[in-house]
Amino acid sequence: MSVEAAVGEVALTAAAVMAAVGVYGLTASQNLVRQLLSIEVLFNAVLIMVILLFSFNPVSATVFAITLIAVVSGEVIVVVAIIASLYRRTRSLESLVLEEEGV
Amino acid sequence: MIEAYKPLLAGVLAAFMILASYLVVRSRDLVYASGALAVLGTLNAAFIALLGYGLVAAFLVIVYVGAAVMFIIVAVSMLGGGGLERWQPEKGFLSSAAVLTVLLIVMLSSAMYTLYKPPTTIRLDSVAGTLAGGYLPVLGLIFIALAATLIEAISIARKR
Repeated sequence: MSVEAAVGEVALTAAAVMAAVGVYGLTASQNLVRQLLSIEVLFNAVLIMVILLFSFNPVSATVFAITLIAVVSGEVIVVVAIIASLYRRTRSLESLVLEEEGV
Repeated sequence: MIEAYKPLLAGVLAAFMILASYLVVRSRDLVYASGALAVLGTLNAAFIALLGYGLVAAFLVIVYVGAAVMFIIVAVSMLGGGGLERWQPEKGFLSSAAVLTVLLIVMLSSAMYTLYKPPTTIRLDSVAGTLAGGYLPVLGLIFIALAATLIEAISIARKR
């Protein structure tokens, strides 16, 4: 196996395991902040996959990855703002409590 | 010389990334979990630099780790933990095992790892030219996303 293929295999395996860990946190926890952090773990896994799969055209891969990072950064801030606003109203970050209170 | 050690270095970085992602998900304190996310982002940037995409790695460290993740850490520190955290581990194990199985089967059976080709050189002017040329709407989207980041931060600071 060539060096590139070995690096690619390590990267894809790591990305798959990280995606699985992110999905675990997303489905097992009911805390909104923990769910947001798990989504960020998923994002980190997806970024590696995107770069590897677009690597046939390095400029496109770079442009796509930069766009992805910018959009995710904006999304993170918006979600944190929503969570802060919900916490001020309900004093809880549990999705079940928020559901019971009809938020 | 360095090329020969690339898979080993990639393996070490990958192991630390998986450890950091586990800490993000399983740390008891949400502030420590957010700190682990910053470590994960930095390790991810190192891994991407190892793949040959230094520009993406720099952007990831500056914008994602330096702004977004730091914002999460500050916000979580101010909010606190939000009370006792409830877990449903069975549901989590089932879904993560399903995702891992599907991803590994698809990626390794179709030999996706052979698609990786290390880039020769990525010039900043060619990336900027591509963004300002054919990808102008994408550039607008990046500006809107970063502007939203600023506006939301200001609105949280003013408690609206």
